Amino acid sequence: MPPIPDDEPPALSVRGIGKSFPGVRALRGVDLDVHAGTVHALLGENGAGKSTLCNILSGALTDHEGSIELAGRPVRPHSPRDAHRLGIGMIHQELTLVPDLPVADNILLGAEPRTRFGTIDKRRMRARAAELLAAVGLDLDPRAPVRQCRIAEQQLIELAKALSVDVRVLIMDEPTSALADTEVRRLFGVIRTLTARGVAVIYISHRLEELEEIADTVTVLRDGAGVGTRAMADASRAELIGMMVGRPLGEMYPGEGAPDAVAGTRLRVERLTVTADPAAGRAGLHDVDLTVRAGEIVGLAGLMGAGRTEVVEALYGVYGAVRGSISLDDSRYRPSSPRAAIRRGLALVAEDRKTQSLVLDNTVRFNASLAALRRFRRYGRVHRRAERRAVDEQIAALRVRTPGGEAVVGTLSGGNQQKVVLAKCLLTRPSVLLLDEPTRGIDVGAKAEIHGICRRLAAQGTAILLVSSEMPELLALCDRIVVLCEGRVTAVLDSDEASQEAILTAAMARRTVLAGAASGGARAGEGR
Amino acid sequence: MTGEVTGVAAPVQVAGWRRAVSILGSLQGYVGLVLVVAFGIVTRGDTFLSQANLTNAVGAFASRGILAVGETLVILTAGIDLSVGSMLGLASMVSAMLLVNQDLPPVVILPLCMLCGAAMGLVNGIGSTWLRIQPFVMTLATLSVFRGIDRQLSDNVSVGTQVAGPNGALTGHSNTFQLFGTPGHNLFAGTLGAGVYYPVLAFVLVCVLCQLLLSQTRFGRHVYAVGGNETAARLSGVNTDRVKIAVFVLCGLLAGFAGPIDAAYSASADPLAGTSYELDAIAAAVIGGASLAGGRGSVVGTFVGALILTLLDNVLGLNAVSDNLQLIIKGCIVVVAVVLQRPDLLRSLAHFVRRITARTGRSS
Repeated sequence: MPPIPDDEPPALSVRGIGKSFPGVRALRGVDLDVHAGTVHALLGENGAGKSTLCNILSGALTDHEGSIELAGRPVRPHSPRDAHRLGIGMIHQELTLVPDLPVADNILLGAEPRTRFGTIDKRRMRARAAELLAAVGLDLDPRAPVRQCRIAEQQLIELAKALSVDVRVLIMDEPTSALADTEVRRLFGVIRTLTARGVAVIYISHRLEELEEIADTVTVLRDGAGVGTRAMADASRAELIGMMVGRPLGEMYPGEGAPDAVAGTRLRVERLTVTADPAAGRAGLHDVDLTVRAGEIVGLAGLMGAGRTEVVEALYGVYGAVRGSISLDDSRYRPSSPRAAIRRGLALVAEDRKTQSLVLDNTVRFNASLAALRRFRRYGRVHRRAERRAVDEQIAALRVRTPGGEAVVGTLSGGNQQKVVLAKCLLTRPSVLLLDEPTRGIDVGAKAEIHGICRRLAAQGTAILLVSSEMPELLALCDRIVVLCEGRVTAVLDSDEASQEAILTAAMARRTVLAGAASGGARAGEGR
Repeated sequence: MTGEVTGVAAPVQVAGWRRAVSILGSLQGYVGLVLVVAFGIVTRGDTFLSQANLTNAVGAFASRGILAVGETLVILTAGIDLSVGSMLGLASMVSAMLLVNQDLPPVVILPLCMLCGAAMGLVNGIGSTWLRIQPFVMTLATLSVFRGIDRQLSDNVSVGTQVAGPNGALTGHSNTFQLFGTPGHNLFAGTLGAGVYYPVLAFVLVCVLCQLLLSQTRFGRHVYAVGGNETAARLSGVNTDRVKIAVFVLCGLLAGFAGPIDAAYSASADPLAGTSYELDAIAAAVIGGASLAGGRGSVVGTFVGALILTLLDNVLGLNAVSDNLQLIIKGCIVVVAVVLQRPDLLRSLAHFVRRITARTGRSS
């Protein structure tokens, strides 16, 4: 940890920031000092006020209480453009790139170099873009459309875009939520070069293990107020979690042994093969074999683009018919559509709850019962009372914190939204539950609860196939971990032999995998 | 323990105020209707409120109102149907030709027209799903195609629905056909004063049935789900293509249902009948709170929107406002209605005012 100089003013100093939305006091008097050349982490559960604070700093939200000083000079950004001019850059959690524009155009969007005639100077633009791409360690053709880049690459392009102005303060809102571990390493490398140049970084993440590695200082927010600031090196995990939730919590991942419910094989997948579709951003699968017994939680590990999501989506019928033989409880199952999958007792918690799982403008009840309306049919109409009773039961069982079934889903916090998605799946009474990143971007408390729900469901005999980018989660929950690389299974690890090292080794076995298959090597640009 | 929970714990009066604002927001459509009716009563009380006048006003709009209900179903799935006017025109032509050339009884003509409309809707639905043509483009094309068929069938000549028999009087079927909406011909004459004017009855019935379909059935839920988030709907086991085709078919079916009404109303099927009706239909749905982005709106809202449009026409007509001015006012009403429906209207207004005052304060 670099020494924090006491004599010069902090790069960014915030005093008494407060912000109210109608009916909600989002921030109350937060103080924050971020020093040049350091990484300052913001920690807190969803809804604690981290995003609100960052949106104020980056000019996206105006009209607040309190004062902001940049290197000792009072400022008040009125718009994101304003903040840019002041040297404050922000990378949002959701990517904000235009998919069909080339990489270069995206990086310099709004700041395109012009020729004498006022047209865009393509040559200078490409040169500048290439420079910025090199700065974030990306080797991409600036003319390629962003759509063709992987999520991890897009995240780094976003970073390059933020660097296109001369940033002095860089705010990163969960930059790693979509990245696998090796890609996180690369991002950290870029962050370190930035801090070495004197940039102050504000870093939001739910992953404590990451913060331990990259952050110098950490400030914990709870219910819109600052709870405290610690030097990262002095803070223990237990202490930070305690500060976040306001009560002591047992260790995050109790290494509980698997319930030894050795039942019959519920799901057997043999030689599952899916052709890659680069236009849809879909990786290919090659002869994937796996089995899940009733009451078992099987993890799917691998890097971005290894084909984890593709396995669960192929099983769920999202791609229609696929090659390979699949059986459910020893009877043949041919995926054809999600509709047919639900009828055979499969349920999927999709990767992105906002775009794939929820009708955000509609109510909790509407969303929760959507997949199971068949159950509530009576005389050709939906039996409202039965529906409400079933949904309320799930809300209670999953402890969804909502004013009621008629609340609009979009107003709930991320963790509670995810529980609504789970409720939707459970109402269809699945025998096989496919979970794709079920705890991405949700707070520690809700995460622990969802883990508890998974264990409970498994104990009741549900077979669970869990995709996760967080290795501690996989290690804590799974009875077995199947590791994928480039669409092929490279390892199947039992819980006693599984470790972060073993998973990573198998996930990065790209060269061994590709030795036999020439295809798929085109995009194998990383993981070295 | 999350921020949202603290939000609930916020002062009760704030929550109450917010609820009041949101309820006001959902009632804004009705506020428009109340204003129009009040305006009518104040300026032309006796004439405006008479049963004859109201029947006239609603009856004149009924065929477009029925189109608007079908349009609402399509808009709820985030689609749009520009061909409703042409479908109505073709259906009205078919009804007149079946009556005049085949001398079929009206009870047979009506289902045939609906079938014809449903078939046209099926074309729209298939084009927008299996062929993956955007609904706007697909129905823009069929708007032209259906109108062309209509004109080809009729050879560009109107077909009168009042067919005289050998003795000079109207034939029986032609006489019955008038009940579909020729002004002055009512069902159940003698009861309820002057009887029941079929177009008004048909419009109200269509509204009630479609509202029940939307709010009470699985299909209705699926319509809202497809419009709100198509991917989520598909992953929840909704057959999204089938839902989209179904709303187009229903929309066509309703246009077919409205065809004979339009023919009877003007006592003839004009090859240009229904031209630009799609704009009235969309306007009624939008004034009634439907969002073109899908997932938001209701048939009740559209019913109110249709009433606003037709009663406004009526009131302005009674006050002898010129046609040109009426068009301008109608357009403005659409804009005002849509702005009024924003639930955060008051808040953004306050924010706007504050910003303006802050700016002038700084410059002075």
